[in-house]
Amino acid sequence: MSLRSQLEDILKEMKSTGDVEASAIVSRDGLLIAADISSSVNADAFAAMSATMLGAAETAMSELGKGTPDRVVVESPSGKIVAMGAGEKALLVVMTTPKANLGLILLQLGKASKKIEELLG
Amino acid sequence: MKVITGIPVLDDVIEEIPEGKILTYWIDPEVEGNVFAMQTLFTNLERGCKCAYTTIAYSPEVAIGEFNEFGWDVENYENFGIVDLYSGYVGLPSNCQYNASPTDIEEVNEVMKKVIENFDVVVIPVSSVIDVCGEDSIECIGEWYDFAREKESRLICTFVSWPYPEEIEKFVKNNSNAVIRVGGVHHRVILGYYYGVVKVDWKNIKSKAILFKLVKPGGVRAYIPKILVTGPYNAGKSTFVHAVSMRAISVDRLGTTVALDHGHLEYKGFSIDLFGTPGQERFDPILKMLGREALGVILVVDSTKPETFPRAKQMLEAVAHFGLPYVVAANKQDLPDALPPEEIRKKMFLPEDVPIIPVSAKEGDGVYKVIDALLELLTGSWWVKENEPEVST
Repeated sequence: MSLRSQLEDILKEMKSTGDVEASAIVSRDGLLIAADISSSVNADAFAAMSATMLGAAETAMSELGKGTPDRVVVESPSGKIVAMGAGEKALLVVMTTPKANLGLILLQLGKASKKIEELLG
Repeated sequence: MKVITGIPVLDDVIEEIPEGKILTYWIDPEVEGNVFAMQTLFTNLERGCKCAYTTIAYSPEVAIGEFNEFGWDVENYENFGIVDLYSGYVGLPSNCQYNASPTDIEEVNEVMKKVIENFDVVVIPVSSVIDVCGEDSIECIGEWYDFAREKESRLICTFVSWPYPEEIEKFVKNNSNAVIRVGGVHHRVILGYYYGVVKVDWKNIKSKAILFKLVKPGGVRAYIPKILVTGPYNAGKSTFVHAVSMRAISVDRLGTTVALDHGHLEYKGFSIDLFGTPGQERFDPILKMLGREALGVILVVDSTKPETFPRAKQMLEAVAHFGLPYVVAANKQDLPDALPPEEIRKKMFLPEDVPIIPVSAKEGDGVYKVIDALLELLTGSWWVKENEPEVST
């Protein structure tokens, strides 16, 4: 099984959690590695801005002496975006419906990010 | 009672205006600098000092209206006085206690001396007096200076630096105990203002310049200017920000900036915040966000990679389309195949007057020349040249 399809399987599994509209695995410098995103969303920009968001949050937090954040959660009336590191090289980001169960999403996200870290080394 | 200027940062630097001192706000003609004198007056009025405001170019009502525009209700203070040199000039009766017709310089002299004797702080528009009463009135003004010293009052003078004869400028400068220059930050249009301490004879101070905005109501508000550092991927933007800043942080991942660099710099009296942008196209939404409220742009290019110049220009257009001044840092000059600045100008089709400074951000060579060039564009060459020796890293 190719690495690519293994990564895509992880994203498919994320989607089966329910309420997940889109998900992506992104390199820390903002390049798309794998995505499960509808064509109406600009996947490259989504990937780049996810890296910006997580990178800025990590730097802000560590500059304040609070270590590395576990995740970034952004909420709006029309949905949530959650980004989480997946090893040194990559991050995982999902976009959900507004009423998504955050507890379940975070649990699945944590599991997925560990798998990605193992796969990408 | 302690008298202060009421101007942000300036009070930290000069602490107070001692008795018998003359402070002159030296104002570039394109700048609304009179507000400095008004702010100084109102601040001390609130503190309970007796303060007088001299008006000669317009009526007392207009003068009070100007105070009111900034939210300063001078007319409600018993310790406020106005010297009306206007009404007599246009042939109207004055209803102010202190008034004189500027056509009779002796009368003016007498009234001004009375005011200086009776008030702690007296605001005098020196250049307007010269405009209305003629060059000879400078002798009279000299008498007021001496009289204020003798009576231990304080004069707050405004001098709008139209091209007056050199003797007059010298006289005013030499007779002032403190000179604060108020200038414009311009590039085609005025983008902002700055004030700088030129001279203070009662305190030993280093040069200090502060950018400010005028807020109505509110008056003079100091602020730290934001300079944007942009350019193509791998041009050396982050390295540049780190090379000139006293302290800088970068949000970079896998060797590239993904959000921004931020650096702070104290240089030639100015406090400056530098914001470095990412260079890769996929981060372009960040560019415009970071460019908001920037006062100038440093475009960093890799002098060894002319193929990146079109992208450099595209980025410049994205952030500088409001006509912001910009300078080009021709980076990587330490490499053997680096193009010289003039070659870069030709290849990028840049106007002759855009400074292109050869630098090596890695080695730290030439990086402060870039800041100099931008400050010169922003404040005119005067301030930058006057303050040559002070370099803080």
